[in-house]
Amino acid sequence: NPIVLDLAYNCIEFPSLENRM
Amino acid sequence: HIERSKFKQSVEVERSYLEQAVKVADQVLLIVPGDEDAMRCKVVALIRVGDIDGALSTIQSSQKLPIDFSYFKAYCLYRQNKLDEALELLKNQESTSAATLLKSQILYRLGEIDTFVDIYEKLQNCKIDSLETNFVAGLISAGRASE
Ligand SMILES: [K+]
Repeated sequence: NPIVLDLAYNCIEFPSLENRM
Repeated sequence: HIERSKFKQSVEVERSYLEQAVKVADQVLLIVPGDEDAMRCKVVALIRVGDIDGALSTIQSSQKLPIDFSYFKAYCLYRQNKLDEALELLKNQESTSAATLLKSQILYRLGEIDTFVDIYEKLQNCKIDSLETNFVAGLISAGRASE
């Protein structure tokens, strides 16, 4: 079967820390 | 060769940044136990560095905190091929595009290719990078390559 990309991985993102700086 | 060594170098640089991020998060957590941003940074950095066990135990340690890690937990379970458990977690979540993508990947691994293709047909209008690649992969797997 063809490879399915792990697009869910791209949704693992760091929180925005702007309001903490 | 030069391209390959440049690539290897950038992977190593990223890895050291991520390991640094885990250390900083741990330092913050010593001062502010349970801090949500620090917990989130730690879990994301661990997942990105490929330490899925570490990410899961960090999530486990946050059980009593008011932090919703269900997407991250489902993703970790998916990486460990605990597909039914991962799917169960996603059932109780609102269907964000992240949750939908993860669900589709789990269903693909479970061999539910038609459902996978259905999901991608519905996602067509979303601006998600490489969506087309998975849609085509799904069509081929379903024996619908002519579409
Ligand atoms: K929690």
